[in-house]
Amino acid sequence: MTARSSAADRRRPTPWDFVVALIVAAAAVALLFLLKQESGNFLTATVVLDGETIAQYDLTALTGPVTLEVEDASYPLTIQAEPGRIRILESSCPGLDCVHTGWADRAGQQIICLPNRLVISLEGTSSGDIDAVTG
Amino acid sequence: MKRAIASLLIPVFFLLTGCGTAEAQEQFFTMDTVMSITVYGKGAAEAASAARQEVEALNAKLSRTEADSLISQLNAHAGDGTAVDMDGDTLELLTFAKSVSQLLPGCFDITIAPVMDAWGFTGEERHVPDDDTLAAAMALVDSDKLLIDEAAGTARLETAGMSVDLGAVAKGWAAARAEAVLREAGVTSALLDLGRNITAVGPKTDGTAWRVGVADPEDDSQYLCIVSLEDQTASTSGGYERWFEEDGVRYHHIIDPKTGYPADSGLKSVTVISSNHLLADALSTTLFVAGPEAALDFWRSRDDFELVLCTDQGQLLVTEGLEAGFEFRGEELGYDCQIVRR
Amino acid sequence: MSISLRRLTRCAVLTALALALSVAEGLVPLTIIFPLPGLRLGLANLVTVYALCRLSGREALLILIARCLLGSLLGGNLMALAFSLTGGLLALAVMALLLRLSCLSLFGVSIAGAAAHNTGQILAAMVVLGGTAPLVYLPPLLFCSLVTGAVTGGVSILLVHRVPALGDIKS
Repeated sequence: MTARSSAADRRRPTPWDFVVALIVAAAAVALLFLLKQESGNFLTATVVLDGETIAQYDLTALTGPVTLEVEDASYPLTIQAEPGRIRILESSCPGLDCVHTGWADRAGQQIICLPNRLVISLEGTSSGDIDAVTG
Repeated sequence: MKRAIASLLIPVFFLLTGCGTAEAQEQFFTMDTVMSITVYGKGAAEAASAARQEVEALNAKLSRTEADSLISQLNAHAGDGTAVDMDGDTLELLTFAKSVSQLLPGCFDITIAPVMDAWGFTGEERHVPDDDTLAAAMALVDSDKLLIDEAAGTARLETAGMSVDLGAVAKGWAAARAEAVLREAGVTSALLDLGRNITAVGPKTDGTAWRVGVADPEDDSQYLCIVSLEDQTASTSGGYERWFEEDGVRYHHIIDPKTGYPADSGLKSVTVISSNHLLADALSTTLFVAGPEAALDFWRSRDDFELVLCTDQGQLLVTEGLEAGFEFRGEELGYDCQIVRR
Repeated sequence: MSISLRRLTRCAVLTALALALSVAEGLVPLTIIFPLPGLRLGLANLVTVYALCRLSGREALLILIARCLLGSLLGGNLMALAFSLTGGLLALAVMALLLRLSCLSLFGVSIAGAAAHNTGQILAAMVVLGGTAPLVYLPPLLFCSLVTGAVTGGVSILLVHRVPALGDIKS
C-alpha cells in the first residue's frame, strides 16, 4: 500500500546527495551575486573632516538611528545616520547649507559642510548608471 | 550572517574592479568649494596632483579672501587711482567677465561683491540688509568702472568701496586650466568635479561618453535628467544651493544685479553644457538671473552651448543639442520635460 | 479497524507529532545564534518525510495542511500561515519528486526539501510584503538549509528505518 521509494531505503549518503547540496549552495551564491548587482544593498558613509576620516558607517547594516557629535570641528555639528541614509542634523556653522541638503541615501552622493571642511561621502556597489552629479 | 557574507564578497568585488586601468583621485577644498579630480590611465596620480596644484595656484591669485591675491590687491586699491599690476590669466578673466555683463545686460556683474557682503553671504551671518545698506552697496556695483589696461597689464576700480569677486567664473577658468595640465601630461580620460560643475576630459576609458546627473533642486538625492558629456562642462546654478530663511521667507545667494535681491526669474536651476568650460560656468549664473525666456532667446542667438532649465512650474526645458544621450528622470518627481528647438 | 479509520488515526497521530515538534522547535530558536528571519531546524519536516516514505503523498499533504492550519491557530498568526504553508507545500512537492530517484538518500532529499521550504517562505514573504526585499535573506537561508537539511535527513533515516510503518503495528 505504500509506495516504497529507493531513496528512502538507503542508510548512507550517496555522492548524488553531495550534488544536491552543491546545487543548493550554487543557487545561493548565484542569487547573492545577482542581488549585489541589481540592488547593491551595500551603502557606506565616510565622514571626512579636513582630510581626515573621522567615522564610517555601514548604512545597510545599521538597525537603528546613530548620532555622531563632531566637537572637533570649527563649528560643531551633529550627524545622524539611519538604516540606509545619513544627514547633518544640526550645525553651528554659518549658512547651514549642509543641514539644508537633508538626507543622503544614494551611492555617489555627498553632504558638504564648507565652513567645517567636512564631507560625508556615500559609497556603494550601486553608484548607479551615472558618473557625476551637477547642481 | 548577511554581513559576514558581504564582508567576504567585498574584497572579491574590489579585486574584480581593481584589474582595470589605473585611477587616481584628488579631493580638496579651494575656491570656497570642494573639488575632486579623477584621472584614468598611466601616470594618473602625477597628473591629478599637477592639476590640483594648478587649481590651487589659481585660487591664490583669484580669491577675494586670500589677503595677498591679485584680486585682493585690486580691491584694496579701489578708488585710490592706483593701477594694479595683473598677470595674463587674471587680466583675461577680468576682460571675459566684463564681456559677459555686456552680452546680457543687467544679469551679471563681477562687482556685485559689496551687495553679497551686505547680505552676509560671504561672512558669518546671512541676513536681509536694511534699505540704506543695500542702496549704498548697490551704488558700488558697476563693472564699467572696472578699468582694464591690457597694454600696461593693469586694472583698477574707479570708486572706493568697489570690490571684484570672480566666484561666478573662477571654477570655469580652473576647469580649462586643469584640463590643459592633464592634456599636457598625456591624459585622455578624466572627470573634474569642481564644486559640482562637472568637466569631462575625453570619453570614459571604455570610449563611451560620461553620464552626468542633473540634481533635483528639491531633493539632492534625485536626478531630473542625465546628460552625456565628452570634452564638455556641465555647470549648474540654482537658488537651492545656498540660502537662508528670515521671517518665513527664503533668500538665496544668486543676487540680481538690477535689484540687489535674490534673482526671482521663474527658474529653480540652470544647467549649461558647453565645450567652453569658462562660458558654461559664467552663463549658468547669468541665465539663472535672466529667466527662461531670455535664456532661450540667448541660446537661439548662439551655437556654442546647450541648456537644461528647471522652471518654478516644474517644467524641464532641454535644448535640442542635448537630445542624443539624454535621459529624463523627473517624471516620478512630478516634472514635465520638453525639448526646445531653434 | 476499517481501513479509513486506521488512516484517519495515523494521520491524526502524525499531525499531533508534527505540531508537537513545531512547538518544541520554537522553544529552542536557532535565530538566537543566527539572527536570520525564517531560520529554523525544520523538525516538522521529519513527519512529512516519514509520511512520504511510509504512507502516501496524499496523506503527507493532508498532514501538512492540518499541521499548518492548527499551528497558525495556536500561534494566532495568519502571516505565518502563508509562509509555512507555501514553504511546506513546495518542500513536499520537491521531496516527493526526489524520493523517486534511486541514486539519492534521505540526506539529499531533506536538503532539497529544506532549501525548497526556505524558497517557498521567501516567495510568500515577497507576495505579502509586495517587493523583492525579503530576497536578501534567501542566500544565507539556503546556506543554512544545507546544515538543517542534513540534520533532519540523518534523523529521518533513523526514523524511517527504526520505526515500523504504522500500518504494520497491528500485525
